[in-house]
Amino acid sequence: MKRNLCVCLAIVLGVLCALPMAVQAQEKVIRIGAMYPMTGRAGLYGIDSVAAAEMAVDEINGKGGANGYKIDITFTDSKAKPAYAVRVATRYITEDQVHFLFGIVSSGVGLAVTEISKQHKKIFIGTDHASTQLTSDKLQPYYFRVANNTFQSMAAGALYLQELQKSKPWKTIAYIGPDYAYGHDQWNELRFSLDRLGVKYQVVGEYWPKLFEPDYNSYVTSLVKDNPDILVTGFWGGDTVAFIKQAQVYGLFKKSLYFQPDAGGNYELMSAMGAELPAGLVLGARHYNNWPETELNRKFVADFHKRTGRYPTYAAEGAYAGVYAIAEAVKVVGNPDDTEALVKALEGLKIKLPEDPDGFTSYMDPATHQIMQVQAIGVTMPNTDFPPAKMMLGDWKIYKAEDIAPPPGYPNK
Amino acid sequence: MDVSFLLTQFISGLTMATLLFLVASGLTLIFGVGNVFNFAHGSFYMLGAYFGYQFVSVWSTNFWIALLLSGVCVGLFGMLAEFAFLRRIYGRANEGGFQILLTYAFILIIDDLVKLTWGAEYKSLPRPTGFGGAIQLGDLFIPAYNLLIIAIGVIVVVAAWWILSHTRPGQVARAAAVDREIVSVLGVNVPMTMTLVFGIATALGGMAGALAAPLRTVTPGAGIEVIIDSLIVVVLGGMGNFWGAWFGALLIGEVNAFAVAVVPQWATLFSFLVMVVVLIFKPEGLFAARKVRKV
Repeated sequence: MKRNLCVCLAIVLGVLCALPMAVQAQEKVIRIGAMYPMTGRAGLYGIDSVAAAEMAVDEINGKGGANGYKIDITFTDSKAKPAYAVRVATRYITEDQVHFLFGIVSSGVGLAVTEISKQHKKIFIGTDHASTQLTSDKLQPYYFRVANNTFQSMAAGALYLQELQKSKPWKTIAYIGPDYAYGHDQWNELRFSLDRLGVKYQVVGEYWPKLFEPDYNSYVTSLVKDNPDILVTGFWGGDTVAFIKQAQVYGLFKKSLYFQPDAGGNYELMSAMGAELPAGLVLGARHYNNWPETELNRKFVADFHKRTGRYPTYAAEGAYAGVYAIAEAVKVVGNPDDTEALVKALEGLKIKLPEDPDGFTSYMDPATHQIMQVQAIGVTMPNTDFPPAKMMLGDWKIYKAEDIAPPPGYPNK
Repeated sequence: MDVSFLLTQFISGLTMATLLFLVASGLTLIFGVGNVFNFAHGSFYMLGAYFGYQFVSVWSTNFWIALLLSGVCVGLFGMLAEFAFLRRIYGRANEGGFQILLTYAFILIIDDLVKLTWGAEYKSLPRPTGFGGAIQLGDLFIPAYNLLIIAIGVIVVVAAWWILSHTRPGQVARAAAVDREIVSVLGVNVPMTMTLVFGIATALGGMAGALAAPLRTVTPGAGIEVIIDSLIVVVLGGMGNFWGAWFGALLIGEVNAFAVAVVPQWATLFSFLVMVVVLIFKPEGLFAARKVRKV
């Protein structure tokens, strides 16, 4: 009797254990392993990315998924550390058996994770990190980026400066940016593009404070002495806020045109500084809450605000685009398991995104796996439509995707 | 280089030095009196900046009152942390290891508390009324708020020196730094003294955070960068030496300012270079007495 009871219990337990596996086997799921920093200075980018990716997942799953496959996305704090992110990515692939690696804010972390993606032949969708290396000399077949790289931003910046020289002749230029790959890449890429366009200029100062430098006073006084016509900065996040706050009292922006084409126009700056933000700064970013004025962008911004109670930074739109890119590729292939077919599908990706103006659709460059998008650069001016910001960008200059792409073979040619 | 540029560069260095000193003074006070290295001191600085934001930008409190209240709030928070956690590890074997673990835990907890309370978005404080402008010096400008920070730094140096050397609590704190047991036998409530010292030191860090907030970004993680610079200052001056911290801050601030002016591409290297040189020739720090090893 006792023996029979044990056998029955064992059978019931066995069935209970096997049931979830059977259910999972029948469930059509796209598993995504995402990594974003959730803490520290870059935490805002991670938190916004997570919120926007979840929003995209809810939208897609709410409509029945991609070709019947529901998206299941897992987020882990990358801690913005390459070695840690590599361990997380490996765990995602070997234990969680994800179909896609996803995310990453820091270029250093992106460069580390792309190696894991290559090694395991697992597709990695980059949504925010901007180092051009990932889509040029460090490109591998399973990496795709759905946000601008720094080259595209700086090439648009060079076109802006070329145009400006015709209307307001400028001669001298100075640069200040964080002393790591991101800052150095931007300066090299801007000069490369200026030289390529044949723009004549003289560099009168070059400064490399450390990343997250809290005190720029000494740099500002030196820049005031250099007196450049154009002051280019390569900061991002809180560093932009701190630099502008410290520099404006020295009258720096009255003498030099403040120019920050990559991350300067991110909403975080407008949100943090409110009415303190000076008018007339020339800034660019990878997505704006008030441009383009399309239905898709308005909906994205409004839905994000409804979901989180705040307006998005550009990192959010990158993550949102990444989830939709995956869904589009799975729709084309029919399933998330055929990696090589997904690579082909992503190479041919055409996708309408919130940052696309009317008449343009973002598309993937099959040679570089870099998404091609229009770039806008604007000027700070009063606008209270997106509180707590009191200033937003306007007076836009728009640059075509084809005009700002790195030349074939860059950076070796 | 003309004189006005040299002067503005000197004042830039002095501004940085003063803010560094205000953070480092609390760090050095805790180490000097309690022999505790408070790894989380930068987080108390960050907390002060957030309290400053809350009082000034959200509740529209007068800046000067907000500055004092930020110091008081952070000081109370520091006393609670010492009373509830830190005092439980005093005198334990491997105290240093426990200190690092516990104060590192404070960093994580304070960072998350800040994020839960104020969110991850960057915050900003305007400069106080009357200190938003600059004084013109030839072609160059000196921000009035920077001069104010320097003046407050001088007041804190003098006040801290006077309290430590001319008042009974200051003398008790100094005595406790030398020998806690003897002071205890003499009837002094040493645990209470330690809690108070921790409170005063974290209040200094909190005030520094609120004072720096109109110049810097108020953000989670802001404590990390100041703790590294403050650590350099404290090590340079000699761990726990108040005047050493002041001199170390001055040295780092000015070396950094003139390195930026003369060799901008290598400027960040110089503060570390100064530390390396000092540690090679005087490993105990510039103002610390050389320890004699008895054999």
